[in-house]
Amino acid sequence: MLVLIGIVIKMLVVVGVTQGAVAYLILVERKVAAYAQDRIGPNRCGPFALIQPLADGAKMLLKEDVIPGYVNKPLYLLAPLIAIVTATIGFAVVPFGPVGVSAPGVSLPFGMGDYKVDFQIAPAIDIGIVYVFAVGSLAVYAVILAGWASNNKYSFIGGLRSSAQLISYEIPLGLSILPTVLLAGSLDLNAIINYQDALGESLPFGLGSLGFLGWGVFTCPIGFLIFLTSAFAETNRLPFDLPESEQELIGGFHTEYSAMKFGMFFLGEYLHVITVSFLTVVLFFGGWDLPGLSQEQVGWIPALLKTGVLVGKVALMIVFMMWIRWTLPRFRYDQLMDLAWKALIPLALVNLVAMMVFLQATRS
Amino acid sequence: MDVILNFIGSVLGMTGTYAVLFGGLGTYLLLPHRHGAIRPRAAHGAGLIAVALGLLIYMTYWRPPGLLLPAVFLYVFGATSVIGAVLTITSRDPVASALWFASVVLSTAGLFLLAEAPFLAAGTIIVYAGAVIVTFLFVIMLAQMEGKADYDRAARSPGWATLTSFIILWCLLASIATLKTGEKVGTGIHHLARNRLEPEKQLLRSRDLEAYIGSPDANMTGVVRRAVSPMSLVADARLAEGEAADNPEATSVLVHRPNVAGIAASMYTDHLASVAIAGALLFVALVGAVAITNPRMPVRPSSSDPAQRAAVGSVRP
Repeated sequence: MLVLIGIVIKMLVVVGVTQGAVAYLILVERKVAAYAQDRIGPNRCGPFALIQPLADGAKMLLKEDVIPGYVNKPLYLLAPLIAIVTATIGFAVVPFGPVGVSAPGVSLPFGMGDYKVDFQIAPAIDIGIVYVFAVGSLAVYAVILAGWASNNKYSFIGGLRSSAQLISYEIPLGLSILPTVLLAGSLDLNAIINYQDALGESLPFGLGSLGFLGWGVFTCPIGFLIFLTSAFAETNRLPFDLPESEQELIGGFHTEYSAMKFGMFFLGEYLHVITVSFLTVVLFFGGWDLPGLSQEQVGWIPALLKTGVLVGKVALMIVFMMWIRWTLPRFRYDQLMDLAWKALIPLALVNLVAMMVFLQATRS
Repeated sequence: MDVILNFIGSVLGMTGTYAVLFGGLGTYLLLPHRHGAIRPRAAHGAGLIAVALGLLIYMTYWRPPGLLLPAVFLYVFGATSVIGAVLTITSRDPVASALWFASVVLSTAGLFLLAEAPFLAAGTIIVYAGAVIVTFLFVIMLAQMEGKADYDRAARSPGWATLTSFIILWCLLASIATLKTGEKVGTGIHHLARNRLEPEKQLLRSRDLEAYIGSPDANMTGVVRRAVSPMSLVADARLAEGEAADNPEATSVLVHRPNVAGIAASMYTDHLASVAIAGALLFVALVGAVAITNPRMPVRPSSSDPAQRAAVGSVRP
């Protein structure tokens, strides 16, 4: 019962924080866009436009919600729901801080005993990362259904493009993380962080004192590049935002959506950006690991420090994704498909086989 | 004569027979009629009632893995998967059919989770819901640009299809009902382990092939020898568990293995022959798919090839 209450509280915290973060990410995106184009950006709502997200949210809720007469209504209503649900439940296995042995505990009043606070909604799930991919693979339904149910040629083309793109890029995304998983010997995200921490400290020739050379980005650099590229495609962000491409398709799959339904698609997209950033940091940047932090430290102060480091890394990653948006132009569609099938998938396979050979050769 | 009468008696005595009868009748009534015509409303009503009745009888076969929450989840996932399956084949709109199929896959993944098989659940979602059904939807949507075709809205031979599929379902139910569950020894987890082990022993595994191919001393070399070598870790851990029930001092034999490692160990020892055969088949299919692909001339000819340019008719001098 205690465990159940703990999980419910953690769920509320995670959902609340991430959805609140999304509101401010939209502000950050607008500010980054403005600076990239030598503009000032939003600056009217409060100091540094900090009330702007509230104004945007209120606008979304209060606008007229138009449902065109020619749409397939059940599927039209279902699509934004799928977008937001699939983006939210992916967080269940993502660690936000120390989990397991190094998690801090609280002693409860009224003799209810101790409770260990794992910074993860569902700790000790064997399949961790596979679960995230399973949930992520369902997100394509939102786009394809929105495109089809809208009964509009532009939406439809956007939906078709998106389904082809998401199916194609799921393969290199899955293959690119396998070398990291093979190294760590586990699919559990928390075990992968712990492995990177331990490896960084045990390196020979004084490299161990640096502490961060065990990160996935140093052990599997090719896997990291493939993962990053595929992650941009999976989140439908530039340079891979063919499903929306405003110049050709008006708004792509969400052309016919208005008010909060349109807002839900946006919420889903930004939640995806957060999830992907978390995965990148956990798999390739050591999670909460920094020189000086290790999994042996127990207690509340190291725990909060680790959480802060992890969230800081994720924030840097998100800003990087927004920065890329104003750096690279959009791909042409055949180039997009060529990149996935002719470059990324063979490269990821070679990378995987190379890691397997290396592990087999160095196994004592 | 007595044999036949006995057989009929045992068939009629099995609850599953009635579930299959009602379910089959209802599904037949609900299936879209030939030429896309709509059946009368009364037939639909009767079909719905029959399917519901069949489902209720079928539910008596389900054993919830625990009280309250697991039981609720079992009945919800089970019912949605069966109802979704019926709706998949009775929908008149191909897109709706594909989406109901997706709901069946998701419910099945939920049942896998209840059976403590999270990797299978995630794998099913990735492969079926994430790839196969999305490809279905893709093709259906591309092909259905102008209205729905007659052949997409009607079942081709609903009678035969219902008959054969429900006979298969009956056979499955009968085999489950007659499966021996082993004598009940001990309590708690050992008791469970023993009961799970017994039916599994009746399945054919690669290691059992040894008994069929020849005696252990027979001259088996190379792959066959390896494929049938009894070295599975999972089954052995379970065996140790089962033995621990008889020997109360050795209760610390219980070993927790990660789900994925357990599946891999079982696949590459118990079922190595099946995995190898499936891999070979898939590889052949892959080569075949590449071979029958029609290579098309590129729309824009490469400027370096003068013959190709002449064939298409280059504009530039």
